[in-house]
Amino acid sequence: MLVGSIQTPSGAVLEFLVLFAVILFGPVVIRRFGLPGLIGLLLGGYAIGSHGLDLIKAGDQTVPALGQLGLLYLMFMAGLELDLHMLRRQRTAAVAFGLVAFAVPLGAGLLIGWALGWSVAATVLLGALFSSHTLIVYPTLRDAGLGGNRAVASAVGATVLTDTLALIVLAIVAGTQTASARIGVVLVEITIGFAVLVGVAAFVLPRVVDAALRMWSGDRVARYLVVVVALLATAAIAEVFGIEPIIGAFFAGLSLNRLVPNEGQSMDRVEFFGSAVFVPVFVVSIGLLLDPSVMFTADTLELAGLICLGALGGKAIACLLAGQAFGFSWPERAAMYVLTAPQAAATLAVTLIGFELGLFDTSVVNAVLVLILVSISAAAVLSQRVVTWMPRGVEQRALGEKVLVAATAPGPSDTAMRAATRLARPDGGHGEVVVARMDGDPRPEPAALRALERHVFGHGFDGRLTTAVGPLAETVTRVVCESEPSVVVVDDAEFDTLVPGVPLVVVRLTASGEDTFRVLGSAGNEDAREIARRLDDRRTPRKLRRWRGGPPGDGAARPTDETQSIARR
Amino acid sequence: MLAAVTVGLGLALSGCAVKHGAAGAKFVPKQRGVLTVATSFLPAPGFWFGPGERLGFEAGLARALAHKLGLARVRVVQVPFAKVTHGRLDGADIGLSQVTPTSEREQTADFSTPYLTAPPGVLARTNVEAVDLNSLRGLRWVVARVSTLTPIVRDVVQPARPPLVVEDRATALDALRSGRADALLLDLPVALGLARAEPGRFQVLGQLSGGESLAAVLPKGSPNLDIVDSSIRALTADGKIAGLASRWLGSQADVPLIRSSS
Repeated sequence: MLVGSIQTPSGAVLEFLVLFAVILFGPVVIRRFGLPGLIGLLLGGYAIGSHGLDLIKAGDQTVPALGQLGLLYLMFMAGLELDLHMLRRQRTAAVAFGLVAFAVPLGAGLLIGWALGWSVAATVLLGALFSSHTLIVYPTLRDAGLGGNRAVASAVGATVLTDTLALIVLAIVAGTQTASARIGVVLVEITIGFAVLVGVAAFVLPRVVDAALRMWSGDRVARYLVVVVALLATAAIAEVFGIEPIIGAFFAGLSLNRLVPNEGQSMDRVEFFGSAVFVPVFVVSIGLLLDPSVMFTADTLELAGLICLGALGGKAIACLLAGQAFGFSWPERAAMYVLTAPQAAATLAVTLIGFELGLFDTSVVNAVLVLILVSISAAAVLSQRVVTWMPRGVEQRALGEKVLVAATAPGPSDTAMRAATRLARPDGGHGEVVVARMDGDPRPEPAALRALERHVFGHGFDGRLTTAVGPLAETVTRVVCESEPSVVVVDDAEFDTLVPGVPLVVVRLTASGEDTFRVLGSAGNEDAREIARRLDDRRTPRKLRRWRGGPPGDGAARPTDETQSIARR
Repeated sequence: MLAAVTVGLGLALSGCAVKHGAAGAKFVPKQRGVLTVATSFLPAPGFWFGPGERLGFEAGLARALAHKLGLARVRVVQVPFAKVTHGRLDGADIGLSQVTPTSEREQTADFSTPYLTAPPGVLARTNVEAVDLNSLRGLRWVVARVSTLTPIVRDVVQPARPPLVVEDRATALDALRSGRADALLLDLPVALGLARAEPGRFQVLGQLSGGESLAAVLPKGSPNLDIVDSSIRALTADGKIAGLASRWLGSQADVPLIRSSS
């Protein structure tokens, strides 16, 4: 009976098993050879694909369909992770470098495509493919304390421009290939589509998503799904206008950049699902196309050599030109190069779409995979050297990069949360809320903590919630040392303890129901002005007024009804 | 300027020797300016039918491919199915004959990227009713010896009575028409084409789950494979293939799924 029911696994179960086994083991194995995990996924995709062990058949629809979702997610994350603060800070250098880093590789791609006699569409797509880049080694430079370097900041900021321009080129090429209308009509349609997309991304999406995140402040699953639905809705809007959905996904990422701060809880979840499922599935689905019998032919290797020369050479020239124009040192130019040379996210996206449009064949795809392997590996190795050459400077942090809210039990008032959100939001910053209670006070119940979390997220604040035992002044001093916030909001009008190195904003709700604040301690003039500008903004419906002098006589900020009820429980 | 010099140097070093277009090498037809297509079933309702077999999904696909490849016209030759699946096309450039790629067939033929998904579809006489696997088992089945779907009838449907085994699809259809059998498993697009052509006689009861597909056949090692692949992907991307399928075969999504785990 038992023997009769034993059978070989097949169908979707087997496909998912081998797929996730590759996602689990591919990166682990390849990292043992000092190579990036992405390469393990590509090679794993090859191993299970029709050119390898044939566990995923050539006509299989499941993995490529999941891969499509992964591609959308990848481009969404690319937009979400871009540091718009950097773009703002180094605006001139970033824009200039962005234009050069787009134009020079694009020119190289056009030249190669033209010389090889490719069609106009394939040639332009090759140029677009060269002009984008992925900030794969940025964490290495940031962790080495180089995030604030002007050259690094320019390269990071420039990425917004290069990737957006590359995707616009892709939209035009794809539009002309998939529509039967004349080119003029297609261009008009795409222009209208981009206008709608920009309008949605700039004005509609942030407001709708902000409202939804506040509404579902206590439901983590719903908050994550709001982000996913926003991504897919923008992708669908792009598709309506004949623009590739990945461009909509990228715009959705840019649009939610400030609402989903890079270090916040929401981003944690977005990254978790992206890193665990969606993006690896996409990379594995690309690996399915890897075919050694095509890759290791003279034609493909020759093409790969030219593509590497064009893409990596183009980026090198762009770094030299921009470095010279802005007076960056040689190590700084090298840092720009290791940041902009790696080709991954947008390159893979453009290549796959070129393949699906019938503009590229498998030899081009395999040649581009060589480019990706070479560029990522070279940049990963070179970045280790570059960090040793670079001069260290003091990193200039954005005021709202990491906001600490400190309050006594039962938790922060609406006034404090409004202030924290206004300080964090312009920089896409995240935060931490610490609630101090006295030794001997009862531990908060899980339900009370969840209610408090709902209250915190309900203000559009993205961050971690912790509790601590001890007086508020002592707690603030300790947490500032541990988590190094960029600004502290203290929800205690009597608070008067100075903490070196960080501006403190003390808030209170007056008897007349007015939100007020004062700045304490080591805030420089510039910080104090910026705090005042963000909190005392006349355009917002409920601004905070500044009160001068010491603690008032009428006591601390009043807790909200919700936190009062938490205290009662 | 610098970029141009660098890339120019690279091109010079490579000797511009890449003989490939971005979408594959140029198509080389057996007969100049003509795409010669091998197919087995003439007429094949939904795929090749009408005066001179100029109507249908694969007839339209052949013309669209010829246009994409820069060829002036299409010539059709009839070749037995068993030969087409082995890549022996009797002088034709490609085979368009509702062929499903399999590992075994790939030993002797090259297959293009798929142009249609083709889950198994149950074609039955109009007076037959069955809504689930259990009721399918009670039907009288006919299977063709050379079909890739025969093992599915045996292993998944598991008919209560041994199926009638015939040589090929044409004989199996005759068995259905004459009432010697109730049901036949075909690629869903093929079943849909037949049901459309003979609505008083045939119906599609449902589809089974399966990820198979139909693809063009080329002789093993054909240099035209890349460009045919790219052309099929381009015709998929611009909606041409979806338009042909909708016009000649109808919608697969409207056919109910019969779960094989029940």
